[in-house]
Amino acid sequence: MKTFFKILLASSLALSVSAKEIKLLNVSYDPTRELYAEYNAAFAKYWQAKSGDTVTISQSHGGSGKQAQSVVNGLEADVVTLALAYDIDAISQQARALPADWQKRLPNNSTPYTSTIVFLVRKGNPKQIKDWDDVVKPGVSVVVPNPKTSGGARWAYLAAWAYALETNNHDEAKAKAFITRLYKNVPVLDSGARGSTVTFAQREIGDVLLAWENEAHLALKEFGADKFEIVTPSISILAEPPVSVVDKNAKRHGTSEVAKAYLDYLYSDESQDIAGKNFYRPRSEKAAAKYAGSFAQLKLVTIDAEFGGWAKAQKTHFADGGIFDQIFQP
Amino acid sequence: MKTKLKQLIVAAVAGAQFTLPALAADSAPTNATQVQIPAYAADGSGGNSAEAAEIKALKQQVEALVQKVNALEQQHGPAEQAATIQDLDQKVRVLARQRENDQDAAATVAKAAPKLVIGPGGLSASSADSNFVFNLKGLVQVDNRSFLNEGIVRGSDSFLLRRARPIFQGTLYKDFDFQFTPDFGGSSVQIFDAYGNYRYRPWLQLRAGKFKVPVGLEQLQSDPVTAFNERSLVTGLVPNRDIGFQLWGDINGGALSYAVGFFNGVGDGRNTANQDFEDHREIAARLFAQPFKNSQNLALQNIGFGLAGTWGNVSSNSTGLANGNGFVTDGQQQFFAYNPAAGTVVADGDHWRLSPQAYYYYGPLSLLGEYAISDQQVRKGALAADLQNSAWEISGGWVLTGENASFTGVTPLHPFDPRNGQWGAFQLVARYAELDIDKATFPLFSNPGTSATAAQAWSVGLNWYLNKNIRVNASYSRTTFTGGGGAGTTAPAIVTRQPEDAIFTRVQLAF
Repeated sequence: MKTFFKILLASSLALSVSAKEIKLLNVSYDPTRELYAEYNAAFAKYWQAKSGDTVTISQSHGGSGKQAQSVVNGLEADVVTLALAYDIDAISQQARALPADWQKRLPNNSTPYTSTIVFLVRKGNPKQIKDWDDVVKPGVSVVVPNPKTSGGARWAYLAAWAYALETNNHDEAKAKAFITRLYKNVPVLDSGARGSTVTFAQREIGDVLLAWENEAHLALKEFGADKFEIVTPSISILAEPPVSVVDKNAKRHGTSEVAKAYLDYLYSDESQDIAGKNFYRPRSEKAAAKYAGSFAQLKLVTIDAEFGGWAKAQKTHFADGGIFDQIFQP
Repeated sequence: MKTKLKQLIVAAVAGAQFTLPALAADSAPTNATQVQIPAYAADGSGGNSAEAAEIKALKQQVEALVQKVNALEQQHGPAEQAATIQDLDQKVRVLARQRENDQDAAATVAKAAPKLVIGPGGLSASSADSNFVFNLKGLVQVDNRSFLNEGIVRGSDSFLLRRARPIFQGTLYKDFDFQFTPDFGGSSVQIFDAYGNYRYRPWLQLRAGKFKVPVGLEQLQSDPVTAFNERSLVTGLVPNRDIGFQLWGDINGGALSYAVGFFNGVGDGRNTANQDFEDHREIAARLFAQPFKNSQNLALQNIGFGLAGTWGNVSSNSTGLANGNGFVTDGQQQFFAYNPAAGTVVADGDHWRLSPQAYYYYGPLSLLGEYAISDQQVRKGALAADLQNSAWEISGGWVLTGENASFTGVTPLHPFDPRNGQWGAFQLVARYAELDIDKATFPLFSNPGTSATAAQAWSVGLNWYLNKNIRVNASYSRTTFTGGGGAGTTAPAIVTRQPEDAIFTRVQLAF
C-alpha cells in the first residue's frame, strides 16, 4: 500500500511538473462572442481533466471576410471558426496555411452547428414586415452588414436572392432588381454582424435587421423582448459556419494536437448543448431535439443546390465587379 | 411642435426688434460683441417716427407669420409632423452611425499603416507592426584649420569636409539591428560602419561586421559630440574600426557594460582596410562600470570607469604599425615616423594594449581621462624589439548656459532663436594630452633627428550648440615636442622643428 501511494504521489508530481500552459488563438466571425466564451471555458476544463495541461484560448471577432484576410496577412490563428467556407478556402489558397481539402477533416463538412437569416423588427412590427417582399418596399429602412466584409451579410444577400428566384420563376434579372431595391433601403453598412446589431438595437436605426438567427435571439435576450420581435421569412438559407485548424500556425506554435481537440470537442454532447443554448442549430440529434422549440421551421435553401457552391456565388455576386458592386453605390 | 415653432418665430422677430434700433443708435459699439440698446428700443415705444414705423412693420410681419404657421398646422396634421420629425431623427442617427463606422475604419487603416517621423533624430519609418524600422541619420562637418607661425611651410591652412556621412540604421523583427555608414568626406569614399547586431537581451548582444573596437574611451564617443574637432593623442594608440564580431551587453541598466570581441587586428589609430592579409586575429575586451547610474544621487550618477585592452599577433606587416606608420598632432601633422634612414620597420609579433579610462559628469561639468599603453613587437631586417608607447589625456568642460553635460553631448534648453532672445548653449572645453614614444625605438626604428620622442598638446575651445542638430566649434591647440626638429623639408622634421599652433573651427550638422 505504501508503495502504491508512493507511486501515486510520484505520478502526480510528475504530471504537475510536466503540465503545460498552452495558448490558442481562435479567429472567429462577428456574432460568436457569447458562444465561444462559454465553449472555451468548457473546453479548458475538459482538456485540463484529460491532459493536465492548462489551455487558454484568446478570441478575435470581426466580419468573416475581414478576419480571413487578417489571417492571410499574418494574424497567427491556431484555429478559425468563420461564417462561410469560402473565407477558409481563401486562407488555404492565399496563405497556404491549411490544405485544400480541409472541409473533409471534420463531420458535416466541418460545420458543427448551423444557422440561418431571420428578421429582427421593432416590437409591434410597426412596418408590418412579414416576408422578403416587405423588406424591399419603399420607406422600409433595412439594416444589414456589408457583404464585402461580413459572412452574415453574404448569407442574407443570398437568402434574399433565393426568395426572389423562387417567386419570379428563377428569373435572374428580376432577382437582381429585387436585390437592388433591397439595398436601396439600406442606410448604413457595418463591417460585421455585431456592428449591425449595434446599429439597429442600440443606435435605433432602421425598421428591420437582417440578422443571424442566433444574433436575433441574443438581441431579444439582451435588450428585452419588449423592444423587438423576430419575424421568420418564408424562405431563408441554411448557413453553415465552418471551422478548421490553421495547420501552418498550429505547427509553428506546437499546438496542433490541442487545436484539433478544440475543434473535435465542438461535436461533443456538452458543446452541442452549448451551441443550442446560444441559439445555434446543433448538429447532434439529441441537442437539436432539446432546442427544437427555439428555432422556427422554414424552408432553407443551400448554397450548393441554389447557387452552385461558394466559389461560384462569390465570383458572381461578391467579387470585385460582381453583382453587389453593380447594384450598390455608397 | 406648434408652440415651439411659434415661440421660435416670435423670439427671432423680437430679437430683431431689439437689435435693429440698437444698431442704428448713436452709441458706437465698444467692441465687436457688445451693442448698446437705447431705452426707447428696449420698451418698444419708439424714439422717433422712422423707428416707430419700423417697429410697426415688424409687428405686422410677426402677425402674418403666426397666421401662416396656423395655416400650415391645419394643412399638415400632427401625425405628418411626427413622421417628418421621426424621419429627420433617423437621418441624424444614420449620419452619426456612418461617422462612427468611418472612424472605426480609419482607425483600422491607421493601425495597419506604416509610420513616418521626421525630427531631430532624422527620418524614421516603421511598419505598423514595428517589425521593420528604418532610420536615416546624417553627419556633416565642415572644418577650417589655420596654422599660425606664418612663413613656415608646414600645415596647410584649409577648409575641409571632415565628415560627410549618411547613416543608415534599422531594426528588423524588433531584435535585429543594423547600421551602414559610408563617408564621403575624405579624398575617397570609405565604409566606416557596416554591421548587424542581435539583441537577445540588453545584457547579451552579438554584433558582427565593421565597427569601433571597444577600447579607447574618447574613440568610442560618437563623432558629433566630441569636445574638440580632433580626438587627443591617446587615440593614436588605440584601434579605430575593425572587422570582427563581439559579444556585449549592458547589465542592470548600464551600471556595468562589457564587450569581448574577436577582430582581424589593426594598427594603432587605424581603420581596417576592409580585408586582412595575414592569418592572426586580435582579441579586444572592455569592462566599464557606472556603479551609481541607478542611484538618486545626481552627483554620483554619471561616474564611469573601466579598463579595456587588446591582444593580438602580427606577422611581418607594416599595416600593423600605427596609422601612417607614425603619430600625428591635433592638426594631423606627423611628428613621429618609423623607418629611419635605411630599412623598413614592420610589426612582427605580439601586440597588446591596455587602457584604463574614466569620466565624470555632473550638471554642466564634464571630465574625461584615459591612459593607453600600446606594446608592439617590431622588426627591421634582422633586428627585433618590443616597443611600448604610452599616452594619456585629461579633458574637461563647463556648459556656461547651465545645461547638463554628458558623454552623449549637450542639448540646449533654449535652442537658437535670436528673435526671441534665445541663443542655444555654450560650453568651454580644455584638454591636455601627452604621447611618449619608447626610447628603445631610437635610433634603430626611427630617426631621432626628425621624429619627436614625445609630444604634449593642450587645447582650449568654445562649443556653441545652436540646437540638437547644429553646432559650431572654435578651438586653439598648441603641441610641443621633445626631440626631433632636425634637418629636412618634410614631416616629421618640419613638424617637430617648432611647436604647432593651430586654430580649428567647425560647423556641424547632425541628425
